[in-house]
Amino acid sequence: MAVACPIDLDTRKLRDEIRSIYARVASDPAGEFHFHRGPNYAAEFLRYDRAALAQLPAESTAAFAGVANPHRIAPIEEGSTVVDIGCGAGMDLLLAAKSAGPRGRAIGIDMTESMAEKARASARAAGLDNVEVRLGDAMSLPLEDSSADVVISNGVLNLTSDKSVAFGEVFRVLKPGGRFLYADIVVANELSESIRKDVDLWTG
Amino acid sequence: MLLQAGFRDVAVREKFDTFRGTSKERIARKYGVTGVNVFARKA
Repeated sequence: MAVACPIDLDTRKLRDEIRSIYARVASDPAGEFHFHRGPNYAAEFLRYDRAALAQLPAESTAAFAGVANPHRIAPIEEGSTVVDIGCGAGMDLLLAAKSAGPRGRAIGIDMTESMAEKARASARAAGLDNVEVRLGDAMSLPLEDSSADVVISNGVLNLTSDKSVAFGEVFRVLKPGGRFLYADIVVANELSESIRKDVDLWTG
Repeated sequence: MLLQAGFRDVAVREKFDTFRGTSKERIARKYGVTGVNVFARKA
């Protein structure tokens, strides 16, 4: 994974393209995309618990576009404050809220308004009042220092233009001893300069 | 990068063939792109 953008990659264009693609996923999750979506993909490819997904509002699972499964990394204890960076329509966020329980909190962060609104609506539909969703960016999280017991993220930080800034933000908001359950994609082979400058591939 | 950010106990726990069956499967295989679960702790 590249640490930062190539110097001449248009980072504003990258952010706009990411917003545009994920707004389209929110409005038309069954549309044409070059990545999988939905609960069947989550269960079959990423080993999510199919029964747990079936208990969530379909709105939250249909637009799921994660790439791995943070819930298999380590358990989320009851009473935890959990932050989901790039919560999308809220599938991972709602699973985290259920694990944290009524004494805990689950705070979702997303930079796409339509996704954030879907996550809020899904939390209401699921009767989860320990969920809060904030508009924000992984490179500048709208959270206090040392405020989270657990941070999860699924397929989001690879989209940021500077991973060292994004990881620094995760570190800042975690309490000492806090855990980062990080799901993302990695690249085993060195990418050519032309590939690294391709916004279409960054947004995949 | 996680270690540089100050995290400890960093470990890849699981991998996933995330792009199997998508239009990007060929390029994902060419560059070894996979989904991963990673654990890290703030010391």
